Amino acid sequence: MTGDFHVYARAHSGTALGRALLHALSRSGTALDGPLLYARSRTVPRALAALCATAGLALWGAHGAGASVDPERLVPVVALAPLFAAAVIGTSLHTESDELDRTAARPWWRWRAVHLLALTALAAALLSVVALGQPSGFGPSAMLRNTLGAAGLTAAAAAVLGSRLSWLPAFGYAGAVYLGAAGPQRHAATVWAWPVRPGDEPGAWAVALAAFAVGGALYVVRGARGEARA
Amino acid sequence: MSTIRVTGLHVRHRRTVALDSVDLDLGPGVHGLLGPNGAGKTSLIRVLATVAAPNGGRVELLGDDVADHRRRAAVRRRLGYLPQEFGFYPGFTVREFVAYMAWLKEMPAAGTPAAVERAVARVGLADRIDTKVKTLSGGMVRRVGIAQAIVNDPQVLLLDEPTAGLDPEQRMEFRALLRELGTSSTVVVSTHLVEDVAAACTEVTLVESGRIAYRGTPASLTELGASADGVGDHPIERGYTAALRAHRASAATPEGAAR
Repeated sequence: MTGDFHVYARAHSGTALGRALLHALSRSGTALDGPLLYARSRTVPRALAALCATAGLALWGAHGAGASVDPERLVPVVALAPLFAAAVIGTSLHTESDELDRTAARPWWRWRAVHLLALTALAAALLSVVALGQPSGFGPSAMLRNTLGAAGLTAAAAAVLGSRLSWLPAFGYAGAVYLGAAGPQRHAATVWAWPVRPGDEPGAWAVALAAFAVGGALYVVRGARGEARA
Repeated sequence: MSTIRVTGLHVRHRRTVALDSVDLDLGPGVHGLLGPNGAGKTSLIRVLATVAAPNGGRVELLGDDVADHRRRAAVRRRLGYLPQEFGFYPGFTVREFVAYMAWLKEMPAAGTPAAVERAVARVGLADRIDTKVKTLSGGMVRRVGIAQAIVNDPQVLLLDEPTAGLDPEQRMEFRALLRELGTSSTVVVSTHLVEDVAAACTEVTLVESGRIAYRGTPASLTELGASADGVGDHPIERGYTAALRAHRASAATPEGAAR
């Protein structure tokens, strides 16, 4: 695992994260640095790999055969890929040692905020790039909006239900919307059906942003259910 | 000088009362916490460890009220806690696990590697320091837990059944470590093993049905065993059962029940 970080840090020495990692590794000799141990305790390396795999899958779905002919094929990609990414983020909020984490002197809210924001930013960036160059309203804007909205719902679920099942409400909601949105639509659809609306609708954006703000704040303040609270 | 001061402590788990009007003053030394299953020992240790918030009452550790979250952080830096069960992070070695706990307690980074090695050596796991925790035996995992609890040289150390899973030789070594730690810190050890208390503790507190049933020294409990009726093979075991029964008898009288 330490080797993985060294390889990662060297490969990314041009980036700020890579430089910070190299600095941390060279200073301690081994990966005993607190932030790195925190990341490993939450299986962040595995979450990073899963986010990349999600982006790969979305790329295949968005640019695969037939997508350019039939723009409607993009709707499931834009609705589903952010859900998978949010599930990866939500399950990474789990800790194996809740009881000991609760005795930490460190203020947890900062680490929760950094964790959630960093992974959501990465997922949003990867998925937006995947959707670049798509015709119709289902491009980077819709992908970004859905990633933020799904991450917010998942973070709220982690605080209320626990991280292990945090993916469930967002999947349930998006699934219901996907089915319901197939019928005739009224004006209010831009609000309740935000995961399947084109990226240029302010109503859908407002709901997704509100979900991210409220869900994120809930998680940062309370932590995942059954986990460290301080 | 008391380092742990508890007044009027109430803890409820849903409708069950776990601790009822507990007052306790503890100073440096090794304090044995004895009592039957479900008596409230773990509830008391978890409240003292600042892991669970009480439903009522006041808890002061090292002179600070832990209800105040700013003071609580300062207290936690000087606190060590071994829960009855703790999960471990996937893929962590003993060194990484103990170092991570040191980081959570905001120990200065420069001194951490040496403190980790010292704590691991004190529990006799120096040769396993770079082994993954998940590959260790139950007794060794228990010792890793003790190592993380003492890595910051805590002034208050709370151990919930630390000897569970240790073999007899390891238990005797652990008692020696307890006696050494008790010279400078306040150590609270919850246990079912009365002989551990006799061998390593300076004071004994007996908990029964969420109340303090008896307070004294191992010597006074042994004396009680010699003079009163109690079941057991050893005088201190007889003292334990005698004190427990005396408390139950007083709680069963109308006077006791009204308390």
